[in-house]
Amino acid sequence: MAVAEPAVTSPVQVMTGGRPGGTRGSRRDRGGVAYLFLTPWLIGAIGLTVAPMVVSLYLSFTDYDLFNDPQWVGLANYREMFTGDRRYLQAVGVTLRYVVVSVPLKLLLALAVALLLHSLRGRGQAFYRSAFYAPSLLGASVGLALAWRSIFDRGGPVAGALGVFGIDTPSWVDDPGYALWAIVLLSAWQFGAPMVIFLAGLQQIPPDLLDAASVDGAGWWRRLVSVVLPMLSPVLFFNLVLETIHAFQAFTQAFVVSSGRGGPADSTLFYTLYLYERGFADFRMGYASAMAWVLLVAIAVITAVLFRTSRLWVFYGDEGSRR
Amino acid sequence: MAVPRLAAAAGRSGRGGSRLAALAALVVLVPVAALLAACGSGASDGKVTLRFVWWGNQQRADVTEKAIALFEERNPNIQVDTSFSDYQAFFDKLATETAGGNAPDVMQMDYRYLNEYAGRGVLLDLGPFVGKQLRLDEWNQGFANTGRSNDKLAALPLGQNTTVMAYDPAVFQAAGLPVPTADQPLTWEQYRDAAQRIHDANGQVHGVTDFGMNEDAFEIWLRQRGKALYTADGELGFAKSDLAEYWRLSQRFRDTGAATPAELNTLVVSTGPEQSPLGRKQSAAEFTFDSTYPAFVQAHGGELAIAPYPADSADNIGMYRKPAVMVSVSARSKHHEESVKLIDFLLNDPDAGKALGATRGLPPNLKIRERISAGLTGVDKQIFDFEAAIDSKLGDAPPAPPKGDGAVHKLFDRKYQEVAFGRLSVDDGVNQFFDEAEQTLG
Repeated sequence: MAVAEPAVTSPVQVMTGGRPGGTRGSRRDRGGVAYLFLTPWLIGAIGLTVAPMVVSLYLSFTDYDLFNDPQWVGLANYREMFTGDRRYLQAVGVTLRYVVVSVPLKLLLALAVALLLHSLRGRGQAFYRSAFYAPSLLGASVGLALAWRSIFDRGGPVAGALGVFGIDTPSWVDDPGYALWAIVLLSAWQFGAPMVIFLAGLQQIPPDLLDAASVDGAGWWRRLVSVVLPMLSPVLFFNLVLETIHAFQAFTQAFVVSSGRGGPADSTLFYTLYLYERGFADFRMGYASAMAWVLLVAIAVITAVLFRTSRLWVFYGDEGSRR
Repeated sequence: MAVPRLAAAAGRSGRGGSRLAALAALVVLVPVAALLAACGSGASDGKVTLRFVWWGNQQRADVTEKAIALFEERNPNIQVDTSFSDYQAFFDKLATETAGGNAPDVMQMDYRYLNEYAGRGVLLDLGPFVGKQLRLDEWNQGFANTGRSNDKLAALPLGQNTTVMAYDPAVFQAAGLPVPTADQPLTWEQYRDAAQRIHDANGQVHGVTDFGMNEDAFEIWLRQRGKALYTADGELGFAKSDLAEYWRLSQRFRDTGAATPAELNTLVVSTGPEQSPLGRKQSAAEFTFDSTYPAFVQAHGGELAIAPYPADSADNIGMYRKPAVMVSVSARSKHHEESVKLIDFLLNDPDAGKALGATRGLPPNLKIRERISAGLTGVDKQIFDFEAAIDSKLGDAPPAPPKGDGAVHKLFDRKYQEVAFGRLSVDDGVNQFFDEAEQTLG
């Protein structure tokens, strides 16, 4: 949306405001041309986003098996979710645990590596930046999740390495106590995107501030806490919001690591995975739509809460003048 | 950025408006035209393209491709595109494609899902083709009609299957055990004892793959007790106490290492032999189907053999002639005639029968079954010999399971895993299973 908006407004502005002498008729014509140019985007936005969302909202109040006509059931899907569906609550629990652990872990790693790379300053920074970013390029690919599965499998490198220290672990991906953490680690390992944003943020911090702090006798740690982190807080906030939204929507890793079942014993039953199963394996599209809407609302509420609390800790550098 | 500047530039010239409109129209229409062209391609040269999908492994793919190549050779105007995957992935994908209106023309179908799909009207009624393009006169008529759902012939069996116990004879012999054979099944207690001795002799190997998560094995166990998975009305045909007894039996196996522990069993039901304990040599025996047995042999890499399930009474072994692997045509396919021609070829052509062997069980066409039985070798011969030896003890197939059995099958696996990992007691697991299964079956 954010990307598309300038494209929506600017041609119209150019058309209408750019030539004040034009007549009413020709202005409307040229406005029409602008809209004609916009049609591909409009068709896409309406046909692929708005219309399906409206339909899905309608379906969430129906019982729909994809083959027969939807039957209106009112709020029954929503009611079943919160009262009669044990697996739904399990899926919510798994997803919350994943978000709460994986997001801070990933951001911490990203920040630590960004600080390290920032201190390199030209000495191979470009190389290491690419190297640390590489895992993120692989994204949520199936091949990667398969590789991850074998790394954490019985007799795999992880079990072997821990075995050297006398720590005996089962196959992580086949034990309900471990499987989720294997996926958390997979997500944390892909910290490249927030890292690059942190790095850009670090390079924006005016060196005079740090120099002044040094002159006042601040050590590395003091400078980090009192100068770097406050100056970085808008970037940190941006990353936090983005990663939280992503984490709620995690799907592929869990799908592949658990062979599409959220197993073992539902320990990796992510919300999206259960949504998919209800819709496409159990043919309950109405229920799946209701789940999707609950997820959307939950993400919106959590994002709103993050924005609220951001006033308390995000420093934009213009607070002084706002007083 | 480029767009506003272009628009502004065009606005300055007089005729620019119409030229611009033409340009915009072009921008919009070209992709649309390309899309339409892409949709229509393939039919231009008069050649019909069919899509045929199945679940299975590479071995099944190899022989199927051989049969398909023969079919294409004889029908130069038909091209058959094929794809395959393992069982669970197959049905996930088939459901999605069917829901999206892109079902393949010809698809392998499981008895378990027959009512699910036929009940939704997505499978072509093959009845009108029988006796014409579809020759069933060399078939056992009862078996040919197992694919009936609501008076429509929605599928035909690609093979006659039965459940088997696949095992590694070398491990049995190394533990000093006699090798199980077709005519003298072990009792369940002898089976447990053998499994225990194998594990005691070699701590790395478990006697058998746990069977608690296996709904197909549970069905045989029930049938040995004169019960069934489903009643004629499509409700659960067993009591909570039956399931509790079955899960306690498997727990006894598991507790002493006679059967594989929970973390080795997480993929047994959802993937193929490549991921299961016998295929990975972590156990010495596993319950499966004859049609899956060749995949076990390939995954295992050594010599395997087959025997009937353990049974406490040699007269009632519970096993039956199952049309586990069937074939259906999509009702929405644009090429019904050609699709039927393809399945008739796979089912009734002697050369196709020879190429396919026993990869989906015994050929349902009795003439072909007889004709190819003489020249068989290897795995195909093992399957033929086994079925000949137990044929008199096999029962007839129960009616196809009700809609929802696919979900119950997965639920069975899932609840048992929670029990096996100690997250639920057997009784709680049984209660939750009944709750959720009854909800699913509605």
